[in-house]
Amino acid sequence: VDDLFAPPETDWRPVSPALARMRHVALGVAVLVVLVLVVLLAVLVGLPVVAWLPLVLLVVALGGWGWRLVGRNARRWGYAERDEDLYVKHGVMFRKLVVVPYGRMQYVDVQAGPLEQLFGIASVHLHTASPGTSARIPGLPREEAARLRDRLTSLGEAQAAGL
Amino acid sequence: VSDPAPAPAPRPRRLSPLTPLVRSSLLVVAVLASTWDDLLSGRPGPVGWVLLVMLVAGAVYGTASWLRTTYWIEADELRVDTGVISRQSRRIRVDRLQGVDISQPFVARLLGLAELKMDVAGAGTREGSLAFLPLHEAQQLRAALLERRDAVRARTAPAAGPVPVARPVEQGRILATLDLGTLVTSLLLSPETVLFAFAGAALAVGLSVSGPMGGVAGVVPVVVGFALTQVRRLSAYYGFTVAETPAGLQVRRGLFSRDTSTISLARVQGVVVSEPLMWRGFGWARLDVALAGYSGSDDSDGRPSASTVMPVAPRPLVLWLARRLLAEAGSPDPDAVVLTPPPSRARWAAPVRRRFMAAGTGDHLVVSREGLLTRRTNVVPHARVQSLQVHQGPWQRRLGLADLRVDSPPGPVGVRARHRDAAQARALLLQENDVARAARAGRSAGTV
Repeated sequence: VDDLFAPPETDWRPVSPALARMRHVALGVAVLVVLVLVVLLAVLVGLPVVAWLPLVLLVVALGGWGWRLVGRNARRWGYAERDEDLYVKHGVMFRKLVVVPYGRMQYVDVQAGPLEQLFGIASVHLHTASPGTSARIPGLPREEAARLRDRLTSLGEAQAAGL
Repeated sequence: VSDPAPAPAPRPRRLSPLTPLVRSSLLVVAVLASTWDDLLSGRPGPVGWVLLVMLVAGAVYGTASWLRTTYWIEADELRVDTGVISRQSRRIRVDRLQGVDISQPFVARLLGLAELKMDVAGAGTREGSLAFLPLHEAQQLRAALLERRDAVRARTAPAAGPVPVARPVEQGRILATLDLGTLVTSLLLSPETVLFAFAGAALAVGLSVSGPMGGVAGVVPVVVGFALTQVRRLSAYYGFTVAETPAGLQVRRGLFSRDTSTISLARVQGVVVSEPLMWRGFGWARLDVALAGYSGSDDSDGRPSASTVMPVAPRPLVLWLARRLLAEAGSPDPDAVVLTPPPSRARWAAPVRRRFMAAGTGDHLVVSREGLLTRRTNVVPHARVQSLQVHQGPWQRRLGLADLRVDSPPGPVGVRARHRDAAQARALLLQENDVARAARAGRSAGTV
């Protein structure tokens, strides 16, 4: 039962599964690098296998835990466009729900780093006059990000309210 | 309708010729302080020479800069040309002016000069400043700029109501003043005093244990720091006056340097009423305001903040001033809003603080209160709500609690309903979102 973060009338739209893929790849690379470093160091110093094997297992376990977290976190992202405001929810442990009225938007950012471009995704960030407004949607397919940006911008202009 | 001030002719004008002197006053003092001994004996040392050369170079540059700096009003723009080698020409559109403040740093005040600070919409920071002008010229220019702004705005956007007419050199009707006795008492009753007393007691113990030398070494920085903080506040808040002018509430303050700033009521985003524990016996409170595009720093670092509307006053007076500031929202009374505490199970999340938390919404306002040592009442009009958030941590989820946050522009105000019942937080979020939208629609006409 999760009434607190239930969608407002409409359904939550999920972000692209490519977000989880991208973060899984990044996590996998990071774990691999750490493992290689650990093994290399252990071999160079000449430690017995019993000494460094637990460490390797620990890193692998942490990686597996992170893998699950990444997947759950990516599935928790959701947004809902309504007539006059945008709802965004995210977070597994610390959950957040943000409502941004279109009339309060100052500008909209679309960002795509090199890794995100590789996976064909981008993140959309809404800014209001308050820096506390944490309305960011990561992992949108590129066309969806562009569409959302255009829609938000035009709605924001149409409904703009004074400060 | 009074006679409008004669607008400055569209010809370039210069700043006060004393400007270089004021700007380099620190350097002059430094040179004199470090070398007066040498200068008197007629043979300056190497440090003295370096400083003297710097002084002469500074004087030459300052004079050149003064010669090359001109300003004038032309075609609804204030133009400022500056730059000795590479020229810059700034144009400040009059209708973009949010406010014009006059400030007088100490040295400038001694010479009867003032700095004109222009606050431009959207820029966030103070865009332009003219330093230094003779005080009466600064006041005239300020009045002329504001008058022209109102005229331009009336021309471009025919407002429904009558066009406010700015009067030249507006002093305004005084609403409240702060007397020295109250200010000194309030400073002595500040939290720092408690810390100071504790530190003093601890040092007295240390003194008796380790002997006088160790004690003195510890005492000196504490005493100096404490005294400096309080003296800085005293000089900043000395002669604090709140007056009502057509442009908004005008705040004047300062012992050595006088500051005048005008709070445009259309820019008020919310207010905070703070009541430190030790003031409550006197029934005193302090009032701060959040303004759009104007992040006043907090008082916590000991630096007096620009967002303060009244450093200390009886609570009824503070609330009355708060209602004046909230005139755009219909001057509602923050105390009339019914505040409810979080549910009793919130004690598992915040055992002590829960008893000092409360939040509620009224017809025009959303209000939250919290704080054990300093009780802060945050007030935001519905029409000024930027965005809303619900947060829930893992522990809160087990208790069925959630936080509701109201986002405001950077400033002292932040309404937070912490540890509410989760269902209630959700209902509040949806309700406040609707109310805020209605409030915005009701007043969206006629503002910037």
